[in-house]
Amino acid sequence: MSKRNSLLFNVVRSLAAIAIALIVATFLVFFSSTSTGFLEKLADTAEALEALLVRPFIKANGTFNSKAFLDVLASMIPIMFTGLATTVMFSANQFNLGSEGGIMLGAFIAALSAIYLPLPTIILPIVSILLGSLAAMLVLLIPATLKAKLNISEMVNSLMLNYIIMYLINFVLTSYVADRSKGQLVTHQIQKHAALPQLVGGGSKLSVGFIIGLIAVILVTIFMYRTRWGYNIRMIGKNQEFARYSGINVAFYIILAQAIGGILAGMGGAVEMLGRYNAYDWKALPGYGWTGITVAILANNNPAFVPFAAFFMSFLGKGTELMSTYSNVPNQLLNIIQAIIFLFFAANNFLSRYRQRLVVKSAEEEMASELGGK
Amino acid sequence: MSEQLAIEMIDVTKIYPNGVVANRDVNFRVKKGEIHALMGENGAGKSTLMKILFGMEKPTHGEIYVNGDLVDLSSPHDAISKGVGMVHQHFMLVPSLTVAENIVLGMVPRKKGVFIDFKEAIKITQDYSRKYNLPVDPFAKVADIPVGMKQKVEILKALVRGAEILILDEPTAVLTTQETRELFIELKNLKEKGFTIIFISHKLNEIMEITDRMTILKDGKSVGIYETKDSTPESISRAMVGRDVVLGIEKEKSNPTDTILKVRNLNYVNAWNKQMLKNVSFSLRKGEILGVAGVEGNGQKELVDALFNFIEVDSGEIEFKGESILNLSQGQLRSRNISLVPEDRMLFGIAANASVKENIISDRSHYPKYNKGPLFNMSEINKDVNQLVDDFLINCSSLEQNVGMLSGGNIQKVVVAREFSSNPELIIADQPTRGIDVGATEFIRSKLIELSRSGAGVLLISADLNEVMELSDSLIIMSGGEIVAYFEDTKGLEDDEMGRFMLGIDRQEDSKIQEVCYE
Amino acid sequence: MSFIFNTDFFFSILRITAPIIFATLAAVISEKGGISNIGLEGTMMMSALFGSLFSYYSGSWIMGVLAAILTGMIVSVVMAFFSFNLETDIILSGTAVNLIGGGGTIFLVRIITGLTEGTQMTSTNSLISGKLQVPNIHIPIIKNIPVLGDILSGHSLLTYTAFLLVYLVWILLYKTPLGLKIRSVGENPDAAKSVGVSVIKMQYTVMILAGALSGLGGAYMSMSYARGFSQDMVAGRGFIALAAQAMGGGEPLGSMLSALVFGTAQALAVKASAIGVDSNLVSPIPYVVTIIGLTIFALNARKKEKVTNKEIKNTMEVIE
Repeated sequence: MSKRNSLLFNVVRSLAAIAIALIVATFLVFFSSTSTGFLEKLADTAEALEALLVRPFIKANGTFNSKAFLDVLASMIPIMFTGLATTVMFSANQFNLGSEGGIMLGAFIAALSAIYLPLPTIILPIVSILLGSLAAMLVLLIPATLKAKLNISEMVNSLMLNYIIMYLINFVLTSYVADRSKGQLVTHQIQKHAALPQLVGGGSKLSVGFIIGLIAVILVTIFMYRTRWGYNIRMIGKNQEFARYSGINVAFYIILAQAIGGILAGMGGAVEMLGRYNAYDWKALPGYGWTGITVAILANNNPAFVPFAAFFMSFLGKGTELMSTYSNVPNQLLNIIQAIIFLFFAANNFLSRYRQRLVVKSAEEEMASELGGK
Repeated sequence: MSEQLAIEMIDVTKIYPNGVVANRDVNFRVKKGEIHALMGENGAGKSTLMKILFGMEKPTHGEIYVNGDLVDLSSPHDAISKGVGMVHQHFMLVPSLTVAENIVLGMVPRKKGVFIDFKEAIKITQDYSRKYNLPVDPFAKVADIPVGMKQKVEILKALVRGAEILILDEPTAVLTTQETRELFIELKNLKEKGFTIIFISHKLNEIMEITDRMTILKDGKSVGIYETKDSTPESISRAMVGRDVVLGIEKEKSNPTDTILKVRNLNYVNAWNKQMLKNVSFSLRKGEILGVAGVEGNGQKELVDALFNFIEVDSGEIEFKGESILNLSQGQLRSRNISLVPEDRMLFGIAANASVKENIISDRSHYPKYNKGPLFNMSEINKDVNQLVDDFLINCSSLEQNVGMLSGGNIQKVVVAREFSSNPELIIADQPTRGIDVGATEFIRSKLIELSRSGAGVLLISADLNEVMELSDSLIIMSGGEIVAYFEDTKGLEDDEMGRFMLGIDRQEDSKIQEVCYE
Repeated sequence: MSFIFNTDFFFSILRITAPIIFATLAAVISEKGGISNIGLEGTMMMSALFGSLFSYYSGSWIMGVLAAILTGMIVSVVMAFFSFNLETDIILSGTAVNLIGGGGTIFLVRIITGLTEGTQMTSTNSLISGKLQVPNIHIPIIKNIPVLGDILSGHSLLTYTAFLLVYLVWILLYKTPLGLKIRSVGENPDAAKSVGVSVIKMQYTVMILAGALSGLGGAYMSMSYARGFSQDMVAGRGFIALAAQAMGGGEPLGSMLSALVFGTAQALAVKASAIGVDSNLVSPIPYVVTIIGLTIFALNARKKEKVTNKEIKNTMEVIE
């Protein structure tokens, strides 16, 4: 199929998936309306949809909703990192689901480092981020190595590790590092100079982490498409037998892909912690890992598209949050929309008849141009 | 016909969607109660014809009669209901199930409607086993039984479903000599009981031993039906192997120099206990094309696998330029300038959903000239790849096009563009022109000649007789895992002679075969 | 010691393991049919909610349990459709089910209970009364046996069902024609096809059975283990089931034993916090055990393979 038709197909498919998700969402919103009477329900639905789709950008009075917009950008940060982590690992065909635990660990280690290490400004946050990334990498090396050497499912092992990490963090938190003076379970405050500077004033929580995230996107994209390591990782994902036959050290890259995934997930946690929080209080797995999978799928496993996918997910997140505030629709709608979009996105047979038509069209176009050229 | 025909296939033609004509107006007639061989080289159309008979493919046109009735076979189910059973070359068995369970799968006898009646299943197995003299252990797990018994289970599966006509696809390919003997006794027994057996095989000696008649296919057409008792190995090999066309490939005489590859006493027994390589020894010299001829399944695949570290041989030596390369990784082999054009190009040769460029550089992403520090030197890469695409006449819309979209011939050109451009000193080419168009075929052959004349050593494995006879400078013939013949010069080699060696009828003196070691 | 290991403790092990067993059996059947079913978690969540709700609206716990089973089956059919007809990678469709399960259940509960914001535990507790729960059974005679009686009697009906199902699933897989078909499709779909078994029909059947079992697991959570549905109540049991299946070698009995290991660890965790040991140290144990178990299993398989090959070669040499 020609490149243009291929692009056309992907765009149509994406829009179809999103449209289906929104239609389902509309029904759910309608169903959740507390008004009686069909027309009132309809009005409620319209209001809710407005909150979902419009409010994140434009306030009720018509002005630009800068606060919401900044929130959207800020909440992009963790899922850009987990999205990147997932694209790298999925590109090698490794279904390592450990970015969930990785981001939590990265946040925790970074927090500890930022609380206790006696380092000066600039050095402290950098070291904290590095430590957080390193910790997550080391942990994700476990399922990676077991897969590379013994062919044990990296999926099961990474799922197990997520829970192990969660419990161990909670153990250390409750037993050693909790601030006893506080009512709930939380660490001491991180040192002020460890916090990442904010990009915009006014308490928006949009820190420099956003820039770090974008830099990571650029670096990962370059890595995957412009270096030999990224290339080898992708070839293994496309055809492992071919990669081996071509002389590529498959075991090494299986491990490398997951190690990089670990680094990115950990970095995401560290950046999120130092950019948004004063202390660490995550007791459960944050869910960014699962959203990261959605981001990776929407981005078609291409790191360059991760910011767009992350923005989209973040925008939906803000929309559902606003919707729950203004229209009493529970914001869990987000998970439902997310799941539907990525179900259709990842369905290879979705619209396959349409793809068939495009393939035929492309072939005809090619033949026509050949004939015309003669 | 006075005798009843069990199977009659009239003017059967099969054209695949990609244009390949697998069967062309084939007439195939099998008498009731006979053992009938279906022979021909690979690609001759045997498997397709039998797939049609077993309902796995539909003919483009033609008629099929089973026991005199015109039938329309749309699925194996239809074929089975008409009494046709097939024993596939790759067993269709479930390893963790017992023999009895495998045999009754899909028609399981029930106890109280809900449970498996194991007693009945065992009884059915034992009854049929005894009746047809196919001893099997009904209680054993299929994973634990030897290959010979697995085959008996497959035959029983067909019999239990009422097959009166059995198609056996290369049944002795996986059997040891002993197991083959047993199989023949069983088949003769079945014949006495009135069963009709179609026996697909290349092995002439076996066909001479057990069959009544044989049909030979060549290039999708039937070239004759022969009575076994009236035939000699020579006449058959002439029919099977004789070429209609002589290609007349032009090449300057080779001037081979030093030995570059030394293979000594390779032995390999595969996972089914069959010895696929038996004391294989030969040398390959720089500047020559050494052909490896033979009917497929006689050890050629294992030889290639051993050379490129897909398998580990049991004993023997492989030396390249004086250094042992046994068990080196494929990356290490490549860094020693050894290239392989693999037989299965879709599985190994390319990544179908990667671009032309990505496929061509898969063995060289680490080359210093393609890397500037940590990054790729894209301009160098593009330059070289563009050059290769031009040099190798690859017809693609751009370097970024997915390789899977290209035609077979172009895909193979991508493979050889990579394998031939790494300055190889040793090229192993396994069925390099199978299934591709004439233009690409000619191109690849001329490249192989060019490379060898420039000093590379080329090992050409090909089941295409034309190719292996005309392209090679020297030739070895493999049969039964051994080298059975060596010809220093392919000029003047007669088809008949080739056929006799390939089909296991003749074998050269050891001293003559030894000559290929150049010691 | 006796303070920890009293009859209450062993009773709680059985009680905690029961829902895990349902999910584990679902994983076992799925895997036997060649399907990596990671959507068990979401399926259990939805079954837990609908089961409990239905029992409230119908006034009968029996209807509730049936609704839970039906929910599980429907969810699985949808997942099967996406995986086998639309060809979404099964791991991804499983993940989608988990996302919808997690979000969808909370969404529905919030609408029903009228709460839309806040971090309060979303639950339907307020709706459920005792008689809408699955009843506990005090087995006559057994309940009077000292020690054993306290451990074995008085469990929820579903607890006994869970352990009974281990046996029933074993029978299904190894003693019925359906089980034969399932295993053949899982091990060698070509072999199955060659004898006329429809692979896709079997795959749907497997998913429906797994869905029904997950449904029972969900019903257990909201109608026996706890009162009504609450957020995060399934707490990863759907994933633990995968681990139990892996550690148990994919067999019903082995997987049940592995599930018991998990149940014991969880019971220990509860006890541990009672005696002041951080439950967070005990809870990870079953997960660690799984990873170690899988590693040992793989190392063993590798060693066996090498030995077998060597044996074959040795025998061949003797014959020659």
